[in-house]
Amino acid sequence: MLTRRIQGQKGVQGIIIVNSEGIPVKTTLDNSSTVQYAGLIHQLVMKARSTVRDIDPQNDLTFLRVRSKKNEIMIAPDKDYFLIVIQNPSD
Amino acid sequence: MKDVLIFFSVITSFLTCVPVVIGVFTLAALRFYFGACSITVWRCKGCQTRVVHSAEAVVQTVSTTISSTQTEPQDQETEQLLLLLQKRDEPEPPGLRDFLQRVEGLVIRELVKNAKSHAFDGLLVNWEDYSQRVSCLHCLQHPSAQERGLHVTSVSWSCTGSVIACAYGRIDDGDWSTERSCVCTWNLNRRGLHTKQADLVIDVPTAVTALCCHPNQPALIAGGLYSGEVVVWDTSRTQDPILAQTGMSADSHREPVYQVAWVPLQRKGEFGVLSASSGGRVLLWTVDSDQGRFVLNAAYALVRQQVPHSSSARFKACGSNTVGVTSLALSPWDPDTFLVGSEGGLLLRCSFSSQTPAAVPSEGQSVTLRAPAVFSFRPRSGPVHSIHCSPFHRNLFVSAGTDGQVHLHSLLQPNPLVSLRVSDSYVFQVQWSPTRPLVFAAATGQGEVQIFDLGRRSPKAAATIVQGDAGQAATCFDFNCQNPHLLAVGKTDGTVGIWQLSTDLTEQSSRESSQLEQIANQVAE
Repeated sequence: MLTRRIQGQKGVQGIIIVNSEGIPVKTTLDNSSTVQYAGLIHQLVMKARSTVRDIDPQNDLTFLRVRSKKNEIMIAPDKDYFLIVIQNPSD
Repeated sequence: MKDVLIFFSVITSFLTCVPVVIGVFTLAALRFYFGACSITVWRCKGCQTRVVHSAEAVVQTVSTTISSTQTEPQDQETEQLLLLLQKRDEPEPPGLRDFLQRVEGLVIRELVKNAKSHAFDGLLVNWEDYSQRVSCLHCLQHPSAQERGLHVTSVSWSCTGSVIACAYGRIDDGDWSTERSCVCTWNLNRRGLHTKQADLVIDVPTAVTALCCHPNQPALIAGGLYSGEVVVWDTSRTQDPILAQTGMSADSHREPVYQVAWVPLQRKGEFGVLSASSGGRVLLWTVDSDQGRFVLNAAYALVRQQVPHSSSARFKACGSNTVGVTSLALSPWDPDTFLVGSEGGLLLRCSFSSQTPAAVPSEGQSVTLRAPAVFSFRPRSGPVHSIHCSPFHRNLFVSAGTDGQVHLHSLLQPNPLVSLRVSDSYVFQVQWSPTRPLVFAAATGQGEVQIFDLGRRSPKAAATIVQGDAGQAATCFDFNCQNPHLLAVGKTDGTVGIWQLSTDLTEQSSRESSQLEQIANQVAE
């Protein structure tokens, strides 16, 4: 499995790989959660990236972390794909 | 010997400046020459360990068992299916592997840092106004019911969370009563809410003992009457709100119906009504709205002989044969399980799919009666008034009765995990909070609704709601699932109070689910 190393880290609840159009390509979560995460996070990453580039056009987004009460979502964006990892650090 | 020879060969080759090969030949010659006189260099090293301690012990197995397992040879069919699935897997999207290689290191570093970080420990973010107090928003009354001294027997929020339906009747009646009563609804989100005048009043010929709003359709309300009838009202109809009723047929209950609940049926989106009465019957009805009647789908009868006995229960053979049902709870996790509490204090886990026929003489019902009881929990000393399954853990439920205590049970064990003393008098209803896994509330005969938080180590209540006079019992309450900070409480003086809960009773904290899991995994003594 391509994401075995990441899955084995402490507290990782799920991994989703989304392509540039926001369609999930690989996932370890169930279907409905995957679709939900993929759609919402794609929009968020686009917004974050445009924010960074508006402030400084020479800059670009490299990593996005969203921390919530229950867990943390880490997003590594790229030209063709996004990697979304959901971790519960206190697990 | 070897060292010396090497030394000589090196010297020789150095002096003669010849390649090593000749040096080797020279070495061989030298070796032959020096074979006679042998120069040996000895080196000695010694050590000794400390005294090694040894001891002898003997062990004997008392009993032995042998067990073995063997995997079955994989089915031809499953093998073929697996192959098909693998082939059907699309070829890896282009560039995916490269992307992952690029990104993996960065992500793993962040994950590891995050797992060790204490940066966010104890950080509390307030998005909403933090309300510290529990306050009464409205006190709803229906004057004509109050004049007749009717008690509020049941309250239920509609699925939208804006309408509260209240049923009136009596809780202390022993005799057959022909008193008329009513069901009132108030819409709290409407401008011009009159607390003394209900938006809708439905007249009912007898006392209403149970009420339940439909989980999807806001207009439908199911009710159980003192006469044993089960009715569904459609509040969107202007003329006659009765959508369906059981009437007095051979199928229906003969005793007061103490609980009704909407049950999801086999077909998705359809719901049936489950009614339980003190006559020992639990009946599942489907609504036939065209004909305005109920069709009996399944019938369960509980009799003493068919109640399974757990090891801790002492069977007392006394009184009548039937097990009068006073409370019912459906499990949101397992559609086949339902819990039943009886007048005699029995607490049973039952199954919808049970096929055992009930040991009851047939009275001309359209469906054969079945015995649903599968497991028996430790019985209580008085009637079990209320049971509720936890929406956050599949094995937990709370039960309350006349002993003034609330017992937290696991579905897997006959003895309760935790028993909390809530009041000195009866406890009429207990319900889990829909938002906080560790919180539940109990309505007591002393007129209070006590809210307990299992996360706190104290046996005292986290909050107490006292409404009106202390002499009137709080008979029923309901949490609002859509607006979790609202709680409706009904009392015997005919008033329904709408309370707003403080934020700490409604906001879930991050460790609660795991704490609940810990409580559930305890083993009761």
